[in-house]
Amino acid sequence: MTWEAVPGFVHEVDARGETTVVVERERLLDAARWLRDEAGFNFLADITPTDYHGWNQERVSGYWGDAGGRDINAPGSWGLQHQPEAKRSRFSVSYHLLRLRAGANEAPRLRLQVWCEDGEPVESVVSVWPTADWHEREAWDMMGIRFEGHPNLTRILMDDDWEGHPLRKDYPLGGEPVRFSGEE
Amino acid sequence: MRAKGPGVFERELGAEDLEDRLMLTTVEKAVAWAQGSSIWPDTFGLACCAMEMIAVVSPRYDIARFGAEVFRSSPRQADLLIVSGRVSHKMAAPLRQIYDQMLEPKWVIAMGACASSGGMFSNYAVLQGVDKIVSVDVHVPGCPPRPEALLEGIVRLQEKIKAGVPPAYEIRGVAQ
Amino acid sequence: MAVAERPAAKPIYEGTRIPAPIPTMLQVDPALREQGDILEVNFGPNHPSTHGVLRLVVELNGERVVGLTAVIGYLHTGFEKNMEQKTWWKAITYPARIDYLSFQMNELVFVLAIEKLLEIEPPPKATWMRMLMCELTRIHSHLIWLGTAALEIGAISMLWYCFRDRDAILDLFELVTGVRMHTRYFQTGGLAEDIPPGFYDECRSFVGLMQQRIDDYEAILDRQQIWLERTKGLGLLSAEDAIALGQSGPVLRASGVDWDLRRAEPHLAYDQVEFNVPVYFNGDVYDRYRVHMDEMRESTRIIGQAVEGMPEGPWIVDDRKIVLPPRHELHTSMESLIHHFKLVTEGYRVPEGEVYVAVESARGELGCYVVSDGGPKPWRVKFRAPSFVALEATATCMSDALVADLIAIVGSLDTVMGEVDR
Repeated sequence: MTWEAVPGFVHEVDARGETTVVVERERLLDAARWLRDEAGFNFLADITPTDYHGWNQERVSGYWGDAGGRDINAPGSWGLQHQPEAKRSRFSVSYHLLRLRAGANEAPRLRLQVWCEDGEPVESVVSVWPTADWHEREAWDMMGIRFEGHPNLTRILMDDDWEGHPLRKDYPLGGEPVRFSGEE
Repeated sequence: MRAKGPGVFERELGAEDLEDRLMLTTVEKAVAWAQGSSIWPDTFGLACCAMEMIAVVSPRYDIARFGAEVFRSSPRQADLLIVSGRVSHKMAAPLRQIYDQMLEPKWVIAMGACASSGGMFSNYAVLQGVDKIVSVDVHVPGCPPRPEALLEGIVRLQEKIKAGVPPAYEIRGVAQ
Repeated sequence: MAVAERPAAKPIYEGTRIPAPIPTMLQVDPALREQGDILEVNFGPNHPSTHGVLRLVVELNGERVVGLTAVIGYLHTGFEKNMEQKTWWKAITYPARIDYLSFQMNELVFVLAIEKLLEIEPPPKATWMRMLMCELTRIHSHLIWLGTAALEIGAISMLWYCFRDRDAILDLFELVTGVRMHTRYFQTGGLAEDIPPGFYDECRSFVGLMQQRIDDYEAILDRQQIWLERTKGLGLLSAEDAIALGQSGPVLRASGVDWDLRRAEPHLAYDQVEFNVPVYFNGDVYDRYRVHMDEMRESTRIIGQAVEGMPEGPWIVDDRKIVLPPRHELHTSMESLIHHFKLVTEGYRVPEGEVYVAVESARGELGCYVVSDGGPKPWRVKFRAPSFVALEATATCMSDALVADLIAIVGSLDTVMGEVDR
């Protein structure tokens, strides 16, 4: 099935048996309604925000080199390096949809994806799939993506007065360094 | 009451001091024995360790033979707080509140790696050891500790109490 | 196997009971608040009956629940951020602690996601053994659910019985993997170790034992008038509301929707074993209990078939770039030594991409979304937890409940707070 009829369609990726449809951020609500009503995706499984800050920079997660070759003196490098392509913006919000029909023996899935920068709001799909309520609150809490039209966008996992959005790449891991006995 | 030959207390105290010290010392020992043998834990199960804590109550591991099967839900009726599971920063305040509501003497067992030191979660969300907010008597390592390990922790706590060691809040404060 | 007490065409209630404007919060009618009789009660986070650290802020008008807010986050552990800092191999240790009752299913979904990115297929023996372990985990989870849910409604003896059988399952886990809980037995490409020889006989005797025990538990509860009165007709959730609220697993099947990922999207070897999917149509607490009991029976059937049908062969895939070479080869082969060294120090690399894998856990659709940048560490890992979504349904289920029913309804949704808060 071709997904070009989805409102706001930008791009489609088919990989490893999964289909990802990227739509324009401004037309997300139209796309969501279309997918629920016309295409039958009545079940929203998950909303996942992802932060791509630092995605294809050098020295990110073991890439010690650039497209021209590898640095043999740096540890953890084997084979010719392949830098991942840059992403279109810093954040992506993926909506994992499922067409749920009772008694069915197949589970058609689709990933609806929008991309946004820091500070750009995304429309809330609570009016389309009520289950999005807590998923969007978690996305706000953990990544700082604001959802317009959400009835109750407050922190859900962290304390109400917590500052910062923990799952962002520029937020430190935290914790405590290991203290060794014998050093002081 | 006429003892038939020197008993435990006379051997320990020395027979010549017996008359002077009999009543005071044996009451302390008796009270310590009673406290240790009937510790009432509080139902403070947080995460996976709570499952092993319930397993300790279950028929195979049977905490009842140590006198501790009466898990009280109200902290005002409990003596022992078994912190079983990871304590997030959001939960730290309720944990301290429960600890404050317990009446003295009270003991704390930090069950599992997460309660003892934060476990495998060295991150922004987990309190790195419950001894940062309460004074812990016994740490039980494991992830999760087997029910036998928790029983070992409880038995060690009982031995501590019966030996007369004061509860942790009298000896030390919280960790820094 | 659908036991229909209500024909599927007739809905459980008319229309929708999802509260508005906030679907997950029941709000008090302002006119009622004017009368001044509303009592706000805080349940938890430390409460004997809320299945972990869940806080419910309940507003009562007498005995009736008129306002409900669920506050979560008391067990937030930062799994996802921690897993981004560990190599793929080390990261497998973390998911088991998310849903700590069905721990192997979390490992399974993460390992399946890695294998999907790597595009490798584990050998059949590994697949069947994974299926067997997951079904054992499902029974384990349902037993704990039954023991604690019955305890809270008042059937206290169920706790002892269920935990006795849980110990039998944990003995099997200890036999195979060496640990009772959080076994970390699934490895990318297969299993961490081969199946020990005594396992099959123990498993067969467990299957025989479990079938009898499930009948015993039903005999204790099903004819108990108090149990029936405390569970029938409560916590109603219609099929449309359940799908709109993203419910899956026993909650969805008790509302009349015949949906099971093991049948619709077979992973592991579920398409090669026979089992039924229990569906009930009343959408109340009693039906959720019935679904759990029937699922335990079906799991026992699957385990019996898996023990008999377990294929021979290797237990892990043979790709030396991902899997450690066998120990004896390190003495003779230079390449094996190098592979071993690189795998232990840096770990394997997973090609760039994003995948979403979902399995049917004891609570519903457990999903794992993984983004890889081609390096030795995950870029993003997100677990779709069914209990997180189940708690969203508390407000709808509680639409006309009494405070005494609150505990029964929250218990029937089978939530594990580790999964909710991650």
